[in-house]
Amino acid sequence: MGRHRRLLLPAVLLIVVLGLVTFLLLDNTVFFNTPTELMDQPASEERQRLGGQVVANSVAETAGGVRFEVTDGRRTVAVMHTGAPQALFQEGIGVVVEGTWDGSVFSSDAMLVKHDEQYRTSDGEEYVPGEPIAP
Amino acid sequence: MIAVIGLAAVFVATAGAALTAWRGWQASARGATSSVLALRNAVTLMLLGALVAMVALQLAILSHDFSIAYVARNTATTTPFVFLLASGWAALEGSIVLWGLVLAGFAYVAVRRVEMGDGLGALALGIVGLVGVFWFGLMATVANPFAVCVDAAAVGCEAQAWSPFAGAVAAAEGLGPNPLLQNHILMAVHPPMLYLGYVGLTMPFAFALAALLRGERGKAWLDRTYRWSLISWSFLTFGILLGAWWSYEVLGWGGYWAWDPVENAAVLPWLVATAFIHSAVVQRRRGMLQAWNFALVISTFALTILGTFLTRSGVVASVHSFTQSPVGPALLGFLGVVVIGSFAIFATRIHLVASAPRLESLASREGVFLANNLLLTVFALTVLLGTMYPLLVEGFSGRQVSVGRPFFDRVTLPIAFALLLAMGVGPITPYRKARATIVWNRIRTPLRVALVAGAVFVVWGVRSVPTVVVVILGVFVIGVIVREFTRQLGRMSGDRSRMERAGTLLRRDAGFWGGQIAHIGFALAAIAIATTTALAVRTEVRLQPGEAEVVSGYCLEYLEPFVRDEPNRRVEGARVLLLDASCTDAFRLIEPRINRYPGATQPVVTPEVRTGLFEDVYVSLAGGNADQLVLDVFVFPGMWLLWFGGLIVTAGGLWSFGARTLVRRNGDEGAAITGDERPRPVTVHGDRDG
Repeated sequence: MGRHRRLLLPAVLLIVVLGLVTFLLLDNTVFFNTPTELMDQPASEERQRLGGQVVANSVAETAGGVRFEVTDGRRTVAVMHTGAPQALFQEGIGVVVEGTWDGSVFSSDAMLVKHDEQYRTSDGEEYVPGEPIAP
Repeated sequence: MIAVIGLAAVFVATAGAALTAWRGWQASARGATSSVLALRNAVTLMLLGALVAMVALQLAILSHDFSIAYVARNTATTTPFVFLLASGWAALEGSIVLWGLVLAGFAYVAVRRVEMGDGLGALALGIVGLVGVFWFGLMATVANPFAVCVDAAAVGCEAQAWSPFAGAVAAAEGLGPNPLLQNHILMAVHPPMLYLGYVGLTMPFAFALAALLRGERGKAWLDRTYRWSLISWSFLTFGILLGAWWSYEVLGWGGYWAWDPVENAAVLPWLVATAFIHSAVVQRRRGMLQAWNFALVISTFALTILGTFLTRSGVVASVHSFTQSPVGPALLGFLGVVVIGSFAIFATRIHLVASAPRLESLASREGVFLANNLLLTVFALTVLLGTMYPLLVEGFSGRQVSVGRPFFDRVTLPIAFALLLAMGVGPITPYRKARATIVWNRIRTPLRVALVAGAVFVVWGVRSVPTVVVVILGVFVIGVIVREFTRQLGRMSGDRSRMERAGTLLRRDAGFWGGQIAHIGFALAAIAIATTTALAVRTEVRLQPGEAEVVSGYCLEYLEPFVRDEPNRRVEGARVLLLDASCTDAFRLIEPRINRYPGATQPVVTPEVRTGLFEDVYVSLAGGNADQLVLDVFVFPGMWLLWFGGLIVTAGGLWSFGARTLVRRNGDEGAAITGDERPRPVTVHGDRDG
């Protein structure tokens, strides 16, 4: 029995730690949405990501950042971005922004940098700037 | 022509690998006199095939033979020479060629030490052969690096055919390497280093599995692969370090680690391999943790395959994209076979090979090793969970999620604290049973020094509690090691100089001191990570040409924009003069820039970094136009300490590797180690009798 008692402490510790880790994991999960998916959702305080293509002629500088629209070829979402956009930011390119959704405008404070130089749509197709994505 | 030779070489290598598996099994089962020689010939065949395949691929690349699809897709005539060479392993098919070559090379080194009648070694080589069959088989089928281009695009290749006899067409120009890969020289070195580490870990796995299959008790498999583990671990450490450095110097987002799945893929096997090289010490010294070591070494190997799957299949971009190429499913299938197969063997045969001597007390070196292993395993499990969770969610629900950096940062922090603490106390805690007074005597002074260092940081203005804790723990770790070293040095007799005695001490117990060197490097890196995270300052600056602004104690003057056409890319950037705070003395001219590569959808933002003794100034283009420049200016204090610490960790691993034997002291072995050791060789060197 001594052998089993010895294992008890590490086992309990491991379970507690993994429980904590799982809790943190669920707490830090950020959902990724296309504009179509996002617009089907109610307003939420939860942080989420929005990915799509920057609509041509939609970019305007604001006091604290930049305002633009993101589309997936079907629906379009207005984005208010706080902070400087990335150096590569321009109309027609694919972006991923992170922030909150109030039901009409997506407030973003982070533009993401990808390791991969190519953005992909959810079905794995390569994103070609200037072309609408197949729905 | 090259396509035919190359593919033929791949087939030869596949046959060599299959023959290695067969001869290895045969030699293990029969121990017949001629079988070891046959095994060596099979391994040589595998190596020759792999070598010719790599040379053929490099020749095709260097001669710009765009009739080979791989060459047309991944190189261009304008690609600089170094990146041409690196293209041989930078993309999917080429990376598998490199993998196979390294595996065959390692097998060739290992088979030299397999003597006649050495069943364990022969069977281990057989398992290496089986692994080789998978990789070379992959090249021979779905990942043929010599597939010919049958439909040339204006640039690159539109369609390819597997058969080398298909009517090949060549485009006038190739697409060139992935822009990120040709943006910095580090990218030519980083992947081979990781691969040397990944592939080297096949050896301990093969020997462990062979010991299980043969039901061989004892630690022969560990003794014979300990140096393989160390050298692989050192390469892996160095590879990860180079990757972080590359990320810092090239990617321009102002950091070096983002908990990206690709980064996690490299750090996962590293964590478990680190646990393994520690718990291996416990088994070799005290005979404990035998089953645990088998589990760790199998997990490490499985994680290297998982890492390759994550980085090479496109699954990270989207769960559904990995089926675009058959390589993804093939890797996943191999991973499944490795995990299920090895753990099935483990579960059914572990009782034959492992017995567990009792731990006398948790307050002992063994106890701290156990804590270290538990921490590293939890660390690895956490990273694995955070990496795989988004893939699982997307796979089951179709929704894409990402796990934010805060998750990894928050979980890592307490584990790092505990690891540093174990690192400080462990090496001076006696084996078997440690008395508190002994331990306290050994840590008293370093603890005081560490607390003073922490206080200095607080007085200096650091208010972040985690940073101060890491500084205290890091200095503590280094202090304990320095104290122990000087203590042992003081006890050495003789009239030689201090330097000579230090050299002797480091060599005499190189396994231990190599570990301590690595610990010092790790502590330095931890201090650097904590301070740069807490004290980094980011400022956004908007400048017009001729304008200057003072930022974080530096003066930045925007001189002019520039455009430079280089053979392989167009560079657009800004010339910015970096001056002291009074805008009088110039340090140097910096050129943050955007590199545009033909054929690439997105350009690469490249920062420029001025590294100083106290801090780095890191300037990256954040946007703007000809009239107004927007710069991201980061100041990272003591950044070089991180790279230096990483190099010291690698050096420590290499120092231990240099040690011929770790355990030479007698009378300290665990009583439970029984059973036969490695069989006596019949001949000293099998290759002498031919």
